[in-house]
Amino acid sequence: MTDITKQPENSTKKQGYWAGVARDGKKMGFWFILPTFLLLLFIVIFPLFMQLYLSVTWWTPLEGIPWYRAWEVFSWGDNYVFQFTDERVWGALWRTIIIMVIAVPAQFFLGMSLAYLFMDNFPGRKIFYSLMLTPMMIVPAVVGLMFYLLFQGTGPVNAHLGLPVTFSWLTDVNRAMISVIIADVWQWTPLMFLILLAGMLGVPSDQLMAAKLLGGSNWQNFLKIILPRMKAVIAIALVLRAVECFKIFDLVYIMTKGGPGVQTETISVFLYKMTFGEFEWSYVAALGLTILFVLSIIAAKGLAYIAKKDG
Amino acid sequence: MSSIQINNVTKRFGDFTAVEDLSLDIKEGEFVALLGPSGCGKTTTMNMIAGIEDISEGSILFDGQDLSSTRIQDRNIGFVFQNYAIFTHLSVYKNLSYGLEVKKIDKSDIDTRVRAMADRMSITHRLEQPASSLSVNEMQKLAIGRSAIVEPRIFLLDEPLSNLDAGFRAYMRAELKVLQHEFGQTMIYVTHDQIEAMSLADKIAIIDQGKLMQYGSPLDIYNSPDNRFVANFIGSPRMNLIDGKLREEKSQLKLMVHGGAEIPLKGQVKSNFTSDGSVQSGSFGIRPQDIYFGDKRSSNDIEMKGIVDVLERVGPKRIAHLQVSETNFIAFDDQDQLKLGEKVSFFLPSEKSMAFDEVSGRRSGVI
Repeated sequence: MTDITKQPENSTKKQGYWAGVARDGKKMGFWFILPTFLLLLFIVIFPLFMQLYLSVTWWTPLEGIPWYRAWEVFSWGDNYVFQFTDERVWGALWRTIIIMVIAVPAQFFLGMSLAYLFMDNFPGRKIFYSLMLTPMMIVPAVVGLMFYLLFQGTGPVNAHLGLPVTFSWLTDVNRAMISVIIADVWQWTPLMFLILLAGMLGVPSDQLMAAKLLGGSNWQNFLKIILPRMKAVIAIALVLRAVECFKIFDLVYIMTKGGPGVQTETISVFLYKMTFGEFEWSYVAALGLTILFVLSIIAAKGLAYIAKKDG
Repeated sequence: MSSIQINNVTKRFGDFTAVEDLSLDIKEGEFVALLGPSGCGKTTTMNMIAGIEDISEGSILFDGQDLSSTRIQDRNIGFVFQNYAIFTHLSVYKNLSYGLEVKKIDKSDIDTRVRAMADRMSITHRLEQPASSLSVNEMQKLAIGRSAIVEPRIFLLDEPLSNLDAGFRAYMRAELKVLQHEFGQTMIYVTHDQIEAMSLADKIAIIDQGKLMQYGSPLDIYNSPDNRFVANFIGSPRMNLIDGKLREEKSQLKLMVHGGAEIPLKGQVKSNFTSDGSVQSGSFGIRPQDIYFGDKRSSNDIEMKGIVDVLERVGPKRIAHLQVSETNFIAFDDQDQLKLGEKVSFFLPSEKSMAFDEVSGRRSGVI
């Protein structure tokens, strides 16, 4: 009898992925994904090269030259050089990072505390669980509008503070930043909570009980058993939120429009304004590529860290 | 080291009563096995002793002291989980040192104690390796060592041998006995395996459906089971338990078995059946090894005639299934003297036979 699970020996001659595809009759699958693949090629790869092309010119849509003739206003790497000396870029970057380094850790600690709380089976847990997740489900633009209304000079926040002075939350630089951070923390803590809770529930409960029986206090067991076991999940949650937070746009644009002046502009708001306000498309293209490059490196490092921890 | 008193403990999960009115008195340094079929409430009892589960009613006293309001962390109870609950993200060393580190004991002191314990459990060569790389047998040793190192007041083991391969299980059974002697600890051991319980424990508590069936030394339980459940549960092969109705014919009391066989009752077992006065029906119990063939040894022994139905070889002996009418008796054929299909006489020694009340299951005729 022949063993049908055994491959004929000559099949090992051809190696590699594509040989495998041909041998195992996966060709049909390839044809299935081809249309999607082509579409993706058109909406991702093509614009990327178009952006790369425009970024080395002075081209703007206002001068009447079609984009493919942008080489006529070729600028070498001037856009790339200029972005490093542009104070508006540095300012926007600085503010984006400030929002990120305050909002993401805040979301992390709140999410972690809530996750720990939800490990217990307290009465009403399910209802609170659903309520907890609602902010995440709301469209960011609506959240922006909600907090815009809340932080109005004559809005509920000032009314509830009940102080003799009325704060102008959204037109003062520092207070506007605080307002945006509060809105972002409100909206995205639930996501952090959800990811961290999933990770925490993955810690075997008998190991936790064993640690307790050995005399470890809740805090010691949290630090020595729960946290180390959640490393990968924590890394994923932090990378995810950091990258998302770096792109923060809706909240800022709706609450302050980057104002007063340019004082609460983040990278995304700045890019938007340069694109549709000042039509500096080649400059935006160069800046966009730089950000993509930097973020890719950070994310890759983060993911490599996760892979190392898991392996 | 502590003595433990379990007083009328009841545990309910909603409408379900897992443990009912259970009382046990465990002396200092004793090795007690909680034995029963799966789902009988033995693990729940263990969890209540450890403080993992709350007690619905009753109390558990350690040296006369109620710990129900003490945090689990401060109870100082050693617990070996069925699946060991090894901290797989830590090294073997860190697993052993965990219970000491959390108590903020001096580093060099920890090191000495960890190395001594690793040496005792013969896992020294594994100390620096991740605990996840251990074999099941080594994990078992690590789990015991990790609990023992903090010198708990009592030691609880939840089916610790059930995941091991047969050879290592026998080794570990002997090892546990040695360890218990060395530690001088009060140990409570949950198992569904009667051989483990018999060979390890000073005392066995047999539990069924949340109720204590019998509590006593292994030999006690084996030789004089309190009730039909214990008689049926302990012993391998099982005791012959024949149900029937009592009837008096020509001044001879007989047990009329439902399958059609008749057991004439004599001597000790007869007085046992009649001691309660109004017993109408009951179970007749006799262990397979007490049934004998050949010549009658005592005038009170009961003679039966049956057909050899099945012969199973277990080592040098054979287990014989003897068919009397439609009732099956199991006996040992020591010298390969029986033949299949043969009609034989066999004897049930009356002083070794037991009588059980059919309704309550209680053994009659014993005080």
